Amino acid sequence: METTAHNTIARRDPALVMRLSRLGSVHQCRLSFMRTLTRRLAEENWSFARPHFDINEQGVGHAVYTATGPQRTYSLVAFAHDLPPEMRSDRVIATAWDATFTLFDGVPTAEDIERLSKNVPYQEAGRVDEQSLSVSRANRSVRLWEHMVDALSHGRQPEAETVDSVGYLMRSTAVYGSGKLGAADFEKIACRPEMAAPFQAEMLSVYLTRAFVRDLVNHMARMRGGEQAVELDKETARSLGIGNSTGLGMAPFIINHPVLFNNWIEAREEAIARVRSLPAATEEEVECFRGLFARSQASVAAWHSQHPVQIGKLEDLNSDLEKITAHLNHTDLTRSTPWDQLYTWAEGALSEEGQELIASLILEPYGDLVDGLSVSMADGRPDALLINGAMTVAAVRDLIEASFGWTLSTDWQAKENCARAWYVSEEKLEPRLGERFEEPIADYEQPLAPARDAAAAHAALAEWDGSLPVAEFLLKHPEHRHTVRRVQISADAPYSEIQDNTISAEVLPIDMLRFKLAVFGATHFDPRSDRWVRICMYGNAPYPEELTKENADRWVYPNAEDQA
Amino acid sequence: MSFALNEIEATAKRAASGAGLSWGMAEEAAKAARWLCAQGIDGAAVLAAVLEQNGGKAAADLRPASLSGDWRTDGGTLCPLFAGASLSDCAARLATGRITLQAVSHPAMLLPFAAAAASQLGKAVTLEWEGCAAVTDGRSVSVSGDALLQACVSGASASLGGSLDAPLSQAARATPGTAAWESLNRFAHRTFAPATEASRLAGAGAGLSDND
Repeated sequence: METTAHNTIARRDPALVMRLSRLGSVHQCRLSFMRTLTRRLAEENWSFARPHFDINEQGVGHAVYTATGPQRTYSLVAFAHDLPPEMRSDRVIATAWDATFTLFDGVPTAEDIERLSKNVPYQEAGRVDEQSLSVSRANRSVRLWEHMVDALSHGRQPEAETVDSVGYLMRSTAVYGSGKLGAADFEKIACRPEMAAPFQAEMLSVYLTRAFVRDLVNHMARMRGGEQAVELDKETARSLGIGNSTGLGMAPFIINHPVLFNNWIEAREEAIARVRSLPAATEEEVECFRGLFARSQASVAAWHSQHPVQIGKLEDLNSDLEKITAHLNHTDLTRSTPWDQLYTWAEGALSEEGQELIASLILEPYGDLVDGLSVSMADGRPDALLINGAMTVAAVRDLIEASFGWTLSTDWQAKENCARAWYVSEEKLEPRLGERFEEPIADYEQPLAPARDAAAAHAALAEWDGSLPVAEFLLKHPEHRHTVRRVQISADAPYSEIQDNTISAEVLPIDMLRFKLAVFGATHFDPRSDRWVRICMYGNAPYPEELTKENADRWVYPNAEDQA
Repeated sequence: MSFALNEIEATAKRAASGAGLSWGMAEEAAKAARWLCAQGIDGAAVLAAVLEQNGGKAAADLRPASLSGDWRTDGGTLCPLFAGASLSDCAARLATGRITLQAVSHPAMLLPFAAAAASQLGKAVTLEWEGCAAVTDGRSVSVSGDALLQACVSGASASLGGSLDAPLSQAARATPGTAAWESLNRFAHRTFAPATEASRLAGAGAGLSDND
């Protein structure tokens, strides 16, 4: 991370930022991985092609989409299937899908495609090799797909209301990268500039998938309607994103990758601090902000959820938007330290949804100040995992108190504080969260309660002479080794730990999923329960052949092409 | 079949936990197996052998009884995972002298921990036992002698210094031996909760339809 010496406003306190309810209120921003990708694709003038599209009237076949940058080509190899409706499920435990994909490193030969066709459609039951950078699958939105094919095949455009109520034609249900199912380890691509920011291969795969899905719906309408069929109009196509249905797997990820988790948050916090530290804003910057605020209102207006928690949060957010509008109407943003004053006002006046919206939105006029931070979001410190055994017991205790001070007064024996346990099911290794006192799962618990474990380690360390090296303690107490590792990481990574109870009776795993998905750049979070959430990716984004420097960044706010 | 190093690490971590190691030790075992595989050594096989040998023994019989003097265990033979973790934890001591271990099983599993020590110190570390000397700078390793893959040695020592005369070439993929891989997967399986209908419905939060 670059120096912060020139910032007059400090980064926000981890005690504020790292609460689950706030992480569960984060919105996408300039640093979101999707926007980092589309900016680069446009800046470097990447070219796109569709060398194969071989799909029959049943919707079965394959297609290849290529993306070529200054040094390399990546190919999305897509397989389309005829899935019986009763097999359609977003769950990890599904065994068949409407479409399956791999992002191939380079351009696949006919032999490669033949080999992939025998593996990719089976996902976890197949194998790929190091030429694959990701493996993914997607299911049709039953509500929209048939309506769309039917309308287009009869020569009509789909009804806008039906399109808007869903927002995507297919939703992906898993995008596996970094070594999963035999694919290449991240290390293979880590040194490539286009892959330096996190999850760029996965984001590219999803971006190309969206183009494939649009082409497929046009193709199926043509197969059904023949001469009568029409193409989906460009504007409607542009409004469609690719859906995603995400379950509990993302929650363990952020706990199991504390350095990465820290870097994602620290980059955004540094960006917020830089912008809040600006002594003044130009007219142009203020106009940019005001324009994008208006457009973000349009985005929120199109965000629907049936889940009571999110319905409440959306009510809060809509009320916040009204307050922001009123506040902006009588606020001169060209006066001194405007962004800090706006944010400080938001902290006192708005819900966490509204505060985080403002925190993300004030970054918008400042690409030069912010975008360079995206490279620091990767984890470039593998040695951070090494334990320093020479550190004294007293120093480790101090670190626990710094990162987990809030947890030391928690009664971890009380049932409500440890009601849940995270485990992995034998069934397709699906991550799950269960009731510790009602189900036989405690023996299978995964180490996803760092706060409880930190309290236990702190109590054990209290029995030890503070001047001894922690190596002596770890020799006798290997059960606290993972905690000592985590707190030593936290010494240099202030945003590495969730400062909340991840196993309480009240925990909402969707808060963790929301955070990770917002960092990716997702919008329109629609929880389906407390443990899985649907989102939209790349809604309103230009398609590969439409991508320009002008529309590559702010597409996330509706009407981007007129106002970018 | 070739595996990604991430797959080796993920399975190794689950296997070590399934074999009874704490999560923190399982993380060490997993990183160690991966590191060996990255040197072109079958780390999955070394780990499987260690876990099988440890079977049923209490941690107190596997780890050094004390970090003073020679490291030895009352249980007879040191486990290289416990001894290795302590070796990495005691990296700073190598600056002032050699660390000597008495009987230790599968000493090849000490190499990744010597590498961890070398990374912390920014200097090469040499590991020796009868018939083998290995020098590592943290990333790579140079091995001399033909006794790398011994099941047990009567003693080993770690010291600062040494030069990497012929570092093993780095591998981006691993091809673990079938029996060892199956063994790790059997250990790993112990960490998976048996499927029940209640778990299937509630555990991942099914509720609203996902076929719409």
